[in-house]
Amino acid sequence: MANQEFATTHMKFQGWITLLARLVLGGVLIAAGALKAGNPAHAAMAVRAYQVLPVTLANILGYALPWAEMGVGLALVIGVAVKGSAIIGGGLMLLFILAISQAWARGLSIDCGCFGGGGASLPVTRLMCKKSSEIPVSPRSRFTYFGIRTVNLG
Amino acid sequence: MATDKKKSQQPAQKGMRGLVIGMIVFVVAVGAAFAVISNQSIKSLKLPSSVSKADGYGIVFNPTGSPKIDIWEDFQCPICDRFEGINGNYINQVVQAGHAKVVFHTMSFIGPESILAANAGACAANSGKFIQFHAAMYNNQPTTENSGKITNPWLTLIGAAAGISDPKFSSCVNNGDFINWTKNIEADAAAKNVNATPTVFVNGKELDRNTQYMDPVAFKKALTDAGVK
Repeated sequence: MANQEFATTHMKFQGWITLLARLVLGGVLIAAGALKAGNPAHAAMAVRAYQVLPVTLANILGYALPWAEMGVGLALVIGVAVKGSAIIGGGLMLLFILAISQAWARGLSIDCGCFGGGGASLPVTRLMCKKSSEIPVSPRSRFTYFGIRTVNLG
Repeated sequence: MATDKKKSQQPAQKGMRGLVIGMIVFVVAVGAAFAVISNQSIKSLKLPSSVSKADGYGIVFNPTGSPKIDIWEDFQCPICDRFEGINGNYINQVVQAGHAKVVFHTMSFIGPESILAANAGACAANSGKFIQFHAAMYNNQPTTENSGKITNPWLTLIGAAAGISDPKFSSCVNNGDFINWTKNIEADAAAKNVNATPTVFVNGKELDRNTQYMDPVAFKKALTDAGVK
């Protein structure tokens, strides 16, 4: 009985929780991308400073990543390709955490460059990753552009 | 009331969904491609007179001197200002005495005002007053980056304060003669894995950021060890 009650409550709020997660992750990605896209030279420098990728690759990633972030963020906010975008967005956050962790572990003194030139934002990143991990397993989200629940009266 | 989302979607809606996704992918691809292409070195452009591709497009003093000291900096970078305060006089002495080949790479990653300042630095180099301009620029560095303070008229005043009387200087600054050149400085620094300013290479090898930058004794020793008299 209690189980069933929980399931009903879960059904009721699931969509809204997922919507919130989508908007927060999408919003953060759009903001992070937009702040960096205006200064690609600095974004590329931030990627190089992690000292993971070969220089040429790091530069290309630095120039391209802000655009990818904006694209994934936009898809999440609009609500198209939600599952795929959530997996990519969550995966990006996971990569960022790994990149920052390895920099810390190696004693590299770097500025993460998450939102452009300055500002350490690891706590935000961690939160985003937790949130985004909820999305792919969720069955349905409120207010996706094409996924609005319809009731079949036939 | 379990309904199937997929079944209830009209074919037209599916097409629309594809269109929206397609548009996002298109914008991302075009933006990313443009960013990659526009940050490459420009092949044919106007260069300041003391600049060559071989030296990473930097402004060169004592081209036949040895050892070779490369300094990457950004006129808006506050740590560069501190570095200038600590080692600037010594570096200027080395340049003026001809005790080393010194290459200044004036980067502009901090933003649009760095681009204007780097352009003005190149104009000053063409008027033979780069070192003086460089000192005046740091003496007057605005406390906040891209605050709107660094403009071409302001840079012209800095030039005057640095003792530049060459009439070509202000037109060079105002016309942005070397704006494109600043891109090549950036592209070269990116290729050489320069990830911070200031960055100093002595004979192609970076100094130790933890010990040799902000200590005037250690900095001087690093240079004299490399053969600077």
